Amino acid sequence: MKFNKAAAMSAIALASVLALTACSGDGGAKSSGTPAASTSDAAVDYSSLSGTITAGGSSAQANVQQAWTTAFQAQASNVKINYDKSQGSGGGVTNWLNGSYDFAGTDAALSADQFSQAKQTCGPDGGVDIPVYLSGVSIVYKLDGVKKLNLDAKTIASIFSGKITSWNDPAIAALNKGATLPSTPISVVHRSDGSGTTANFTTYLHQQQPSIWTWDAGTTWPNNVGSGQQGGSGVVNTVEAGNGTIGYADQSSIGDATAASVEVGDTGKFVDYSEAAATESLTQSGTIAPQGAGDLTVTIDTTKINNAKAYPIPLLSYDVLCKTFKDSAQGKLTAAYLGFIVSKTGQQIGAKNAGAAPLPESFLSKAAKTLASVK
Amino acid sequence: MSATAVSNSRRPRGPVPNALTSGQLPRLVELYTLIGSLAVSAAVLAMTGFSVVGWLVLAAVVYLVGIGILSTVVENRRKATDRVVRGLVTIAFLLALVPLISTLITVVMGGAPSLTWDFITKTGGSVFDPKTLKVTVVQGAWQAIVGTLIITGIASLISIPIGIMAAIYLVEYAQPKQWMARTVTFLVDVMTGIPSIVAGLFAFSLFTLLVGPKAFSGISAAIALSVLMIPIVIRSTEEMLKLVSDDLREASYALGVTKFATIVRIVLPTAIAGIITGVMLAISRVIGETAPIFIAASFTDNFNANPFNGPMQTLPVMAYSGYKFPSQDIASSYQSAWGAALLLVLLVVILNLIARVVAKVFAPRGLR
Amino acid sequence: MDVPADRADSGSADPGSPRRRTAAKVRARPADRIFRFLSTGSAGLIMVILAGVALFLIIKAAPAIAANWSTNPDLAGGTTHGFTSFWSYVGPLIWGTLWSSLIALVLGAPVAIGIALFISHYAPRRLAGALGYLVDLLAAVPSVVFGLWGIFVIRPFIIPFQDWLNQYLGWIPLFSGPVSRTGSTILAGAIVLAVMILPIITSISREIFLQTPRLHEEAALALGSTKWEMVRLAVFPYARSGIVSATLLGLGRALGETMAIALIISPSLIFSVHLITDTKNSQTIAANAALNFPESNPLQRDALIATGLALFIISFGVNFIARWVVARTGSSGRRKEKVVRSLPPSDPTAPAADAADGPVLARRGREQAAEEAEG
Repeated sequence: MKFNKAAAMSAIALASVLALTACSGDGGAKSSGTPAASTSDAAVDYSSLSGTITAGGSSAQANVQQAWTTAFQAQASNVKINYDKSQGSGGGVTNWLNGSYDFAGTDAALSADQFSQAKQTCGPDGGVDIPVYLSGVSIVYKLDGVKKLNLDAKTIASIFSGKITSWNDPAIAALNKGATLPSTPISVVHRSDGSGTTANFTTYLHQQQPSIWTWDAGTTWPNNVGSGQQGGSGVVNTVEAGNGTIGYADQSSIGDATAASVEVGDTGKFVDYSEAAATESLTQSGTIAPQGAGDLTVTIDTTKINNAKAYPIPLLSYDVLCKTFKDSAQGKLTAAYLGFIVSKTGQQIGAKNAGAAPLPESFLSKAAKTLASVK
Repeated sequence: MSATAVSNSRRPRGPVPNALTSGQLPRLVELYTLIGSLAVSAAVLAMTGFSVVGWLVLAAVVYLVGIGILSTVVENRRKATDRVVRGLVTIAFLLALVPLISTLITVVMGGAPSLTWDFITKTGGSVFDPKTLKVTVVQGAWQAIVGTLIITGIASLISIPIGIMAAIYLVEYAQPKQWMARTVTFLVDVMTGIPSIVAGLFAFSLFTLLVGPKAFSGISAAIALSVLMIPIVIRSTEEMLKLVSDDLREASYALGVTKFATIVRIVLPTAIAGIITGVMLAISRVIGETAPIFIAASFTDNFNANPFNGPMQTLPVMAYSGYKFPSQDIASSYQSAWGAALLLVLLVVILNLIARVVAKVFAPRGLR
Repeated sequence: MDVPADRADSGSADPGSPRRRTAAKVRARPADRIFRFLSTGSAGLIMVILAGVALFLIIKAAPAIAANWSTNPDLAGGTTHGFTSFWSYVGPLIWGTLWSSLIALVLGAPVAIGIALFISHYAPRRLAGALGYLVDLLAAVPSVVFGLWGIFVIRPFIIPFQDWLNQYLGWIPLFSGPVSRTGSTILAGAIVLAVMILPIITSISREIFLQTPRLHEEAALALGSTKWEMVRLAVFPYARSGIVSATLLGLGRALGETMAIALIISPSLIFSVHLITDTKNSQTIAANAALNFPESNPLQRDALIATGLALFIISFGVNFIARWVVARTGSSGRRKEKVVRSLPPSDPTAPAADAADGPVLARRGREQAAEEAEG
């Protein structure tokens, strides 16, 4: 046990130092296209770690966690990581607050209430939010004969609030000059389950078009428009199965579905999702607003996104963990894994295997610093 | 059981004029009527627009009306009713066969391509290539098969004895007016209404009290399943035991056999086929549960055969998560989801076969 | 929780102890006493388990039921958004649960009993075994698969049918529009539910039909009954209680069915009888819990558990009413016999029928058993 602790401690120290140097050394380059692993990261030796990490939460992180887990376990063969994606963000945080999880994945940072509750679970140091996964909400549609579609926030808000009901509506036509739009009625498809994707999407609508989208942002679909489907896969399937359908989903779950290009603000520039565009989006719209020491809660204001390099609807997901674990070996192990996630390699693995966008460098270095302080 | 032989020699009853001289339709009249109605419906639909579903539905209606009128005219009303009901029952059966076969075909078609030997015997997971940073998913269901067998096995070990014994209590021992018998009957009714998610929460909370917050384990999922399974076992066993004739019991007592031996040697074997059907129903019902397993046994991609420690994977969870949380390669996720579903169905088929053999061994010898 | 109820090991028949029903009282042997204790113990255990579940439900549900829904910040967002009290939240859910189960029962139960009758009395004997097996097999299909089947097969299939219903029967509120374009309607869900409860009702009804005393059947036929009259006179009265039990088990499954409904139906928390729309499908308790549990905060989770308590009470109520109806309306042999059977053993009006059909019934039972085993 003692040996494990010492080993784990040195490993995490090494990991964080390397992660920091890797980040700072790399400057502003965000390319994730190079196939070779970053050499500095690969040098971190996780092989002496052992133990089991029990975690769960956000289903948006399902794919990316699987990739990270596999990659981490490949280097630390004595470590088992169980990430339960079925729990959802709420379930993850609840289980974490009950002490069932070492860390929880959540699409929303801890609320003030949860943040103070964490002090009971974790001791006086409480918990911290670490942003780990960045993606975007895609607007998927299926409309026979229309392969390319441009939409702006106003039109999206009108469609999803039931104010625009047919595809040849002048508002859509104005954005898609040259395209022949049929008079097919629009079938809106939304999530029927509570979801972080819905929260991010409604936040976007609420921030951009409060006069059209009169509902608050939230995890459940607020209005009585369209058909509710379970899960991102349910939405994508239903959109794909119909004609004239439109829905929203985390871009990592859209598969072969066609996604619309979304206009950035009023710039007249329509942007498709790409990893670089999502990273840029968070750089422009995200501000770190710590709830406590080391905490990395990010507030996103999508109205700040103002150039064509950024995708307008970002989706950010966190992992939360205690700053001080009851069992410090477990703490080191968990921090080592999360340290791996926020390392450059970790982010690249996410990009390659789950379409995740690497987080901006400034976020990653702060995350590594916080994780280094986890005991 | 041939009804025709009997009906030829039946005695008239009610307002039937004279059964001996009343008309008889030819033997294959039902077949002729069926062919006729199919043809008529096809002709009608040919004018309005043809669809297979509409054709079959219309043909069924035409057939029922046709055979009814025909039989009323040539035979009598009672025979007509009989023929119409026979038609209705057969149609009900055929109607039900459609979704049932459709489901099976969907599962088999979906699952068959992924059902390789490797899929069954390999632990699924993913491999990481540090050179390209690519994570490749390895299809495999072994961990889920093992998990399903362990969790359902434990649940069955708990539920079947308790369920059967409780049913024996209700039928053989309890005085019906007794408060305990009434309460138990009442409670079993209520228990059938426990939502599966609540059973999962209950079991997980119970284990949280027992072993602390990290209570995810196969055994807690098994307890959750038991809560769902016990009432089904009791209900069906109780019905079957009630059907065992009292004469058998009394004959046994008359020979001086004890109550215990009567139950074990006479009552249970007589009812064994029905009891096993009920037990298999109960197993089938819980083996496909997802919600309580998610809650009580959490989720894992790792192999875990120890029901007392850590999350376990099961086939229904694998099928569900393959659909709900597909990987980047959606097609391959769906494929393994269908594979898991098919494996689950096959597993139940095998269990059913075993159960039938067991039933045969324990059933009373003699008139086989 | 483990009663070592092992009935197979002590097969040695101790002669001497007649049944309580016969007046002669002989000292019970140890095996007898143990067996009696075990069976009574198991029955007692049911009470303990249920008391445990009930206690759990009540403790969990109480805070949510007692909370002030209009002011409590924890209930302001998500699934509980906009409801003024627990009762206004659970009301539509109770309706949806009953409504969907009712449709499923109306669609499924007659067909299920028809199949059971077909297998037991109409099908050729050789075929009957195989058919029975096929139906049993369907009980094994997990609800997730039914859900997927509903999505991929029933939904597309039902869309033209719904259009047809709406076109010709749209004046009935049940079938009024706007017709769903996705097929995620309560009708689709209820059809899948009906298919799911088929095997349960069929399996048990079939077993019971097969147990009809052959003498009853032959007596009916000998009196000149047609086959249908024989079924009505001999089989149905005998099987009444069993059919009700089977139907109740099926109903229990329909009421509590979670995943299939959650996957198929596009839900709303409203009172509605509309069958074929996207936006007016009343949600069920179980599906609502499954959909919203993951993203809910602890108090909302309690609220969902409280709805589970409501389901618990519903299924009790439904069972209670059904049993009452059976007791009231049952008039012929089987019921009388059952009532007599369930009266204290000393009851003098012991059924005459039993005396006559005993051995035949037993033989028939054995034949069935053998047949089952071969099939």
